[in-house]
Amino acid sequence: MEDTGQRSELDAAERNRYEWQLWVPDFGEAGQRRLKEATVLVSRIGGVGGTAALQLAAAGIGKLILAHGGELRLNDLNRQLLMTTDWIGKPRVESARRRLRELNPHVEIETIEANIDEGNAADLIGRADLVVSAAPLFAERLAMNRAAVQLGKPLVDCAMYDLEGRLTTVLPGRTPCLACLYPEPPPHWKREFPVFSAVSSTVGSLAAMEAIKVLAGFGEPLASRLLVFDLRNPCFETLPLRRRPDCPVCGPISRPAP
Amino acid sequence: MKLRVKYSGQLRTATRCGEEDVGWSPDRTLAELIAHLAERHAAGRPHLLSDSGAIRPSLLIAINDAAVMANEANATRLRDGDVVWLLPPIAGG
Repeated sequence: MEDTGQRSELDAAERNRYEWQLWVPDFGEAGQRRLKEATVLVSRIGGVGGTAALQLAAAGIGKLILAHGGELRLNDLNRQLLMTTDWIGKPRVESARRRLRELNPHVEIETIEANIDEGNAADLIGRADLVVSAAPLFAERLAMNRAAVQLGKPLVDCAMYDLEGRLTTVLPGRTPCLACLYPEPPPHWKREFPVFSAVSSTVGSLAAMEAIKVLAGFGEPLASRLLVFDLRNPCFETLPLRRRPDCPVCGPISRPAP
Repeated sequence: MKLRVKYSGQLRTATRCGEEDVGWSPDRTLAELIAHLAERHAAGRPHLLSDSGAIRPSLLIAINDAAVMANEANATRLRDGDVVWLLPPIAGG
C-alpha cells in the first residue's frame, strides 16, 4: 500500500490509543499509518472471523468490511464474541458494528448482510487490500480464494475444528492458493462443528496478526506454510505447502524467478 | 519397520486417536499405507478415500514435515521411523 500522506497522518488521540503497539520493533508510526490506510474484508464474523475483526479494530485498521448473512441465534453466543444476548434474532453484522465502534470509533465499518459467493466475491474483494477468510463452508472459502488470486489480493485463511486450528496466508502468484490445497471440497465437512471460543478466538487472533504484518510490511507471513495447532495436547507446528502446477486458480498466475 | 501416523481434524475424531504406531514394510507405498489405515479405521475411510478407492485429492499429507501430494502416494516409499501426518481439510469459522 502506498502512503498517501495527509489521510494517514495520526492525530494525538490515535497516537495515544496505539501508543503501546507503536513500541513494537519494525512497526512504529509508519506501520500504524499503513494500517490506517488499509481496508480488510472479513468473511463471516463468527467465532474466528469475529475475533479477527475485533483484533483488527483494536489495532486501528482504517476500514473493515464485514460480510455475514443471517440473524443471531442463542447457540452462537458460546463463541461469537461480537454478539450480545439482547441481539438474538437481529442481524449479526449490526451487533458487530456496534461492538467494534464501541471499541474503536476511528475504524470505518461497512456491513454486508450476506455471505460471500461467486456473485459478490470479486466486488467485495476488489474494494479491500486484504481478505480474512473465515467461512464455515468450503464453497465460500474457494470463491474468495478465486477472486483474491485473480485480483492479486492477499488472503489469510483461518479455520478450526474441535481443539485444532489452521492458518495460512495466500500471496497470489507467490504461494500456493486454497485451490492448491483443496482442489475439491471435502464431501464430509459439516457446517456445524465442535468449538470452544477459546480455540476459535485463538485462530482469529493469529489471523489478525497475519493481516497486520502483511499490511504494515513487517515480520514473516505464513507464506507457503500451514500453521497447525492442537490445544488438546498443546502443540504448534508448521507444514510446508506446495503449489499445484495444474491448479486451475493460481496455475496460470506467473511465478517469481527462482 | 515401524511408522508413526498422526491424524488431524475429523480424522482424529474418526480414528479416536491423535497418533499411533503402525508396523510396515519398506516395499510398500504411501498409497498402500493410506488404504490400510482406511481399512483399520472404518470411520476414517471417507476422509481418506473416495468411493472409488482413490486418495482424496484434498487430503493434506506430510512425511517428516515435507508435503506429499495425493497423486504422488503411489510412488512414495516409506522408511523406518517416518512420521506420516494426515490432515483432511477443516473450515470451522
